[in-house]
Amino acid sequence: MKPGYEKIKRMTPAMRIIHWVNVVSILAAVITGLYIAHPYYQSFIADPAVDKYVMAWNRWIHFIGAILLDVTSVAVAYLYFFSRFEKPYKKLVPNARNVTEFKEVLINLLTLNRRKNFDSSHSDSFNVVYFTIMHLMLILMLLTGLQMYVHGLASGESSIGAWWPWMLHMTTDWTLWVFGGNMGVRYVHHLMMWWIVAWVMFHVYYQIWRTIFWQEGDIAIAFGGSKFKKSSETE
Amino acid sequence: MAERREAFKMLFSANSAKVETNKGDAYYDRLFQQCRARLDELKASQPLQAIDFHEILSDEGYDRREFMKWASAATAMLMLPPMFTPLVAEAAELMTRVPVIWLELQDCAGNSEALLRSDGPKIDEILLDIISLEFHETLMAAAGHQADAQLEDAMHAFKGKYLLFVEGAIPMGMEGQYGTIGASGETFHEHLVRVAADAAAVVAVGSCATYGGIPAAAPNPTEAVGVMDVLKGKPIINIPACPANPANMVGVILHFVLTGQVPELDSLLRPKFAFGYRIHDNCERRAHFDAGEFVEEWGDEGAKNNFCLYKMGCKGPMTFNNCSIVRYNEGVNWPIGVGRGCIGCSEPDFWDKYAYERPMSDANIKAPTGGVEKTVDQFGLGVLTATAVGIGIHAAASAVAGKKSDEGEAQ
Ligand code: SF4
Ligand code: SF4
Repeated sequence: MKPGYEKIKRMTPAMRIIHWVNVVSILAAVITGLYIAHPYYQSFIADPAVDKYVMAWNRWIHFIGAILLDVTSVAVAYLYFFSRFEKPYKKLVPNARNVTEFKEVLINLLTLNRRKNFDSSHSDSFNVVYFTIMHLMLILMLLTGLQMYVHGLASGESSIGAWWPWMLHMTTDWTLWVFGGNMGVRYVHHLMMWWIVAWVMFHVYYQIWRTIFWQEGDIAIAFGGSKFKKSSETE
Repeated sequence: MAERREAFKMLFSANSAKVETNKGDAYYDRLFQQCRARLDELKASQPLQAIDFHEILSDEGYDRREFMKWASAATAMLMLPPMFTPLVAEAAELMTRVPVIWLELQDCAGNSEALLRSDGPKIDEILLDIISLEFHETLMAAAGHQADAQLEDAMHAFKGKYLLFVEGAIPMGMEGQYGTIGASGETFHEHLVRVAADAAAVVAVGSCATYGGIPAAAPNPTEAVGVMDVLKGKPIINIPACPANPANMVGVILHFVLTGQVPELDSLLRPKFAFGYRIHDNCERRAHFDAGEFVEEWGDEGAKNNFCLYKMGCKGPMTFNNCSIVRYNEGVNWPIGVGRGCIGCSEPDFWDKYAYERPMSDANIKAPTGGVEKTVDQFGLGVLTATAVGIGIHAAASAVAGKKSDEGEAQ
């Protein structure tokens, strides 16, 4: 550790697990989702009699990814309000302090770190808003995806009982109404994927940029759970 | 309270969703008694046509056994337990006692054509031939004022009892002047409203009558709409598809004869017995879908091997209809069976949103209603490019002029 710096904890092990589960699930969901929308490779026609479930496997991976995202979304929603570590919702409240902080972080990014009037050692308002948008997009993905999925359970039964399709209908049928039928739901689901990919691109870039320009080791947060801050700034 | 619960249910649960095939013994016992009473009542009434149904059947070469086989299949189609089979058979015999008035509006007569199929007809089609069709402008001999008079007669004689079948969309543009009927110049809309007023129930057949269909496709010059958009206060049953399957028309009439009620409907007013399931889930090519075996080009090796038509634009995964089960043309075949994809003809806006014969993610159609798929990917790539350009500019600027926190301190 450089002299004059101290280590601060920013992500608990649980948060890091959630982060990486999300990374893997989203990656898997995007790759398999593109296949489901438009199968870009297929099993060899010349080989008819072997076991091959290319689409089935793609769907399986897609659904498992979705289920994992479901679980982490519930955990994240819980942590937003009840985390014993940092409660992100506090940074979401649009009070004067948070609004100023949001603006300052944005200005910092736009002025290429020429102005930095905020505490960069902790999660700031901009960051929390940014992550909240991601989670809202993920929730929309889950609801539209589950709506398409429940079509196949028209009998109202499933291998795990009737409660499952019932619950899916209860929670996702409004999407039919809002987005104008099956086709609209599918459209939104597909479109939202592009926004998520764009979000990921910016996210990765911004973390690297912060690491280089703030010189506080931000990139390490997702791996070791901590970053550095200047001791002089500590009270 | 009950109202609020209903509103809540409407909001959160489209009833298109659940098809309940078993409602419990108590329910079916009660229904059985109801049907029995209804049939007895019908039997006591005068037949509208002097027709011996069984004679026609045997003329066409069907014996009693085949008729009962049909009756049990029809019972299953209506999602009733087997104990209803004799009642369904009886209802078929009594179908002549339910008067039908058929209107044709803005359409191609494809549903009348489907109704008429009579080349070696199946029992379904014989039944459609003998229903008491009191008025059908395209099929009947009368024309002009005579036809007008016949309609008046039928409406008067069967007030409150007739089933009104409507084929075709209703043009609402230019105050309905795109379509008028008869010497009075009554618009299709006025005509429909007037004839529907005394109907027991209204059955919209085909995609045009249900959701406007092809006349309503973008840019919809005549502002065509479906029956349910303009008729209020009447039970409406939608039998979409292009054309509607005769089996489903018979199913609806049978159900009405049997129970005196409309069948259970989904949120688009389609009978669940016919539109409760997705084509894709009952498709004979589904195994190829799961295996990732697709027809890539018309006539290729995959096409010869009956591979899945998803990449040729099949919309089976988004389409609810029973054509994969009951099929068309005497149950001989159906679109996917003959090797072309489903174009979602039983779904709203099918012409704009389904019928572009390309995979959903490969279509580049921009309807005023929002546009379809390929535009999504193009837009998505645009978003990514914009993000990448933004990142590039920011990164380059940072590299050239960037100020690291440390340097700041050093100065
Ligand atoms: S042909 Fe169409 S309905 Fe049949 S399995 Fe393929 S996509 Fe589904
Ligand atoms: S396969 Fe599709 S397009 Fe063809 S009749 Fe059935 S629902 Fe209509």
